[in-house]
Amino acid sequence: MNKGNILQGPMGLGLAVVSAIVALAAFGYAFMDLSAVGHRSFNTSSQIPWGQPIATYLYFALASSGLGMIAALSLVFGFKQFLPIAKRAIFLSFVILISGMAVLAMELGHVFRMLWVIPLNMQIESAMFWMGVFYVADLIFLLWKFQKMEGREWDSKTSKQIGIASFLAVLLASGNLALIFGMMSMRPFWFDGLMPIYFYLTAVASGLAAVVFFTYLAYGFNRDAMPERTRAMFEGPMGKLFAAVLGGTVLFIAVRAVTGLYTNNPEISVVWRDFLFASPVYQASLWLGIVAPFVIMLVKGLRSNPSMQVLVSMAVFAGLFAERYFFVVGGQVVPLFRGTWEWGLIQYTPSLTEWALTIMGSAMLFALYAAGERFLNLSDMPAEPAPEGATAAA
Amino acid sequence: MTKWGMVIDLDKCTGCQACTTACAMENNTLPGENWQDVLYYSEGSYPTAKLTWLPRPCMQCENPSCVAVCPTRATYKDMDAGGIVFVDWNKCIGCKYCMIACPYGVRFYADEKPVVEPDVRDVFPGTGQLHAPPYQGPHDDAVRGIGIQPKGVVSKCTFCYHKVSQAPAGVADLDEDNPETKEFTPACVRTCPPKARYFGDLDNPESEVNRLIADQRGVRLKDHTGNRPQVYYLGSGADVPAYQPPKKS
Ligand code: SF4
Ligand code: SF4
Repeated sequence: MNKGNILQGPMGLGLAVVSAIVALAAFGYAFMDLSAVGHRSFNTSSQIPWGQPIATYLYFALASSGLGMIAALSLVFGFKQFLPIAKRAIFLSFVILISGMAVLAMELGHVFRMLWVIPLNMQIESAMFWMGVFYVADLIFLLWKFQKMEGREWDSKTSKQIGIASFLAVLLASGNLALIFGMMSMRPFWFDGLMPIYFYLTAVASGLAAVVFFTYLAYGFNRDAMPERTRAMFEGPMGKLFAAVLGGTVLFIAVRAVTGLYTNNPEISVVWRDFLFASPVYQASLWLGIVAPFVIMLVKGLRSNPSMQVLVSMAVFAGLFAERYFFVVGGQVVPLFRGTWEWGLIQYTPSLTEWALTIMGSAMLFALYAAGERFLNLSDMPAEPAPEGATAAA
Repeated sequence: MTKWGMVIDLDKCTGCQACTTACAMENNTLPGENWQDVLYYSEGSYPTAKLTWLPRPCMQCENPSCVAVCPTRATYKDMDAGGIVFVDWNKCIGCKYCMIACPYGVRFYADEKPVVEPDVRDVFPGTGQLHAPPYQGPHDDAVRGIGIQPKGVVSKCTFCYHKVSQAPAGVADLDEDNPETKEFTPACVRTCPPKARYFGDLDNPESEVNRLIADQRGVRLKDHTGNRPQVYYLGSGADVPAYQPPKKS
């Protein structure tokens, strides 16, 4: 069934090895810098404490949650059309989260200390405490679910229950991650009770981008090489789902931008006007990375076109990465309480070390994914099409 | 129970930064980190421009948002220490969430690790406690964030706890002009040339700080955040103008 999967051959091994080398090189570079001068090699400061490494972590963590939700479409909600990507989505969700956590580990001041102080102090008032709890639960359930799938246990009761638990963990983890920002009333650019909904939507968008891109990659960007049901999914419901999710994302960004620009509060309106919309990078990522893909997916003749699907997935990858970056940094650019000491918006450009961490995480994702594709059967799905009655309407 | 509070009279403050310097000397803060700073604001334009300023320590909030967000309880409010908010340097993991959550921007993160780091104790061996910086002061207390800030953790103003904790129990005010309390007064208060800063027990109705707050209508900055600072300001200019981007010329 898997003949067309080019990553199961030498290509897979090659990609895994090359990505691993890139990941190691980036890690080596960042590690050298960090052990030579510490986090001063970042361009963050006491004014902008969270920079690109945090944005990268956020991006990866949310893409992971999005992939978990996409897997839940078939595994929990019975949309059987999406079964062909369920296993790959669960696997990607796992490795992308691991890669994100690796980036976060390099960002913290004392990563090993974290392992004992957080459990021993049980600060349940802190959203960051819950982030730890929920993402660890998420990782465990993902791994467990994947192990059931490896055992081809698709429909057993435990497998289903683990699937549901995994979905709940995903919702809690990403919703809580949203609240880490959304609950900060002293940072009005982030302060928003609906932040979890925004994160869910954009998480699914980045998850879709990942699963579409990596599935095409596995088959050498040749849809004809895909198993029939996978092909049917890409020809049919995938484009529509992508369009719907991107539409929701556009809507959410639009209402946030409109309310943001409308308000008199400079800590919100100035950020939208002078930081986000004034930046060509933000403009490009918004229009080319989110709006244009949405338009492409709207057009009936284009949304099932394989090249368009690949193009859109790559554009959304980049667009949402920028979205996360501007979101994280945007909450901090208005100088808090600094007066003439900090006259304009605080300037921040990621340093080479910070870029190295982003590259490290991405290369790590590619390496783990290619290894997974090579050694595990990620295209696996239950042999029989869904029995009548178990299928929900699509 | 003692609740330490500070009152800063902006009608007296000349913006001379003596407090900032005294704080840096007293606490050996790292370069670029100002646990105490004087912030300047300019508004209006010639010929009616105005310049205002205000000294800004940590507000030691009654309801500190930095404490609630800290995932490790490294940041904590110690009611037995007069309600001062401390950072436990043995617990802080350097996640910097507290810096996001503090509305007053008074927390600092440092991680500058030199390539080669000789241990000063090996370079200048001595017996017993080595007092003078650069290594260790007599009152170092990592659990309260007092001493030289180690790498990878967050630091902040401690209201000079190493001094005020030595004050006689039950004292209402720590005043540099009173020989009994002079040594226990925070460095910024003690050094202030026009005596714009006052330090005392907010829980004691007889204290000078409470009298000043009542008589001169002391206000707390950014009170809408709900953090309820234990630092009060008197006089005109006791507010923070909203952020205004510089005009493009
Ligand atoms: S001013 Fe900031 S650091 Fe100080 S207690 Fe309040 S919230 Fe915490
Ligand atoms: S940086 Fe340290 S003190 Fe601040 S929230 Fe994180 S662990 Fe707590």
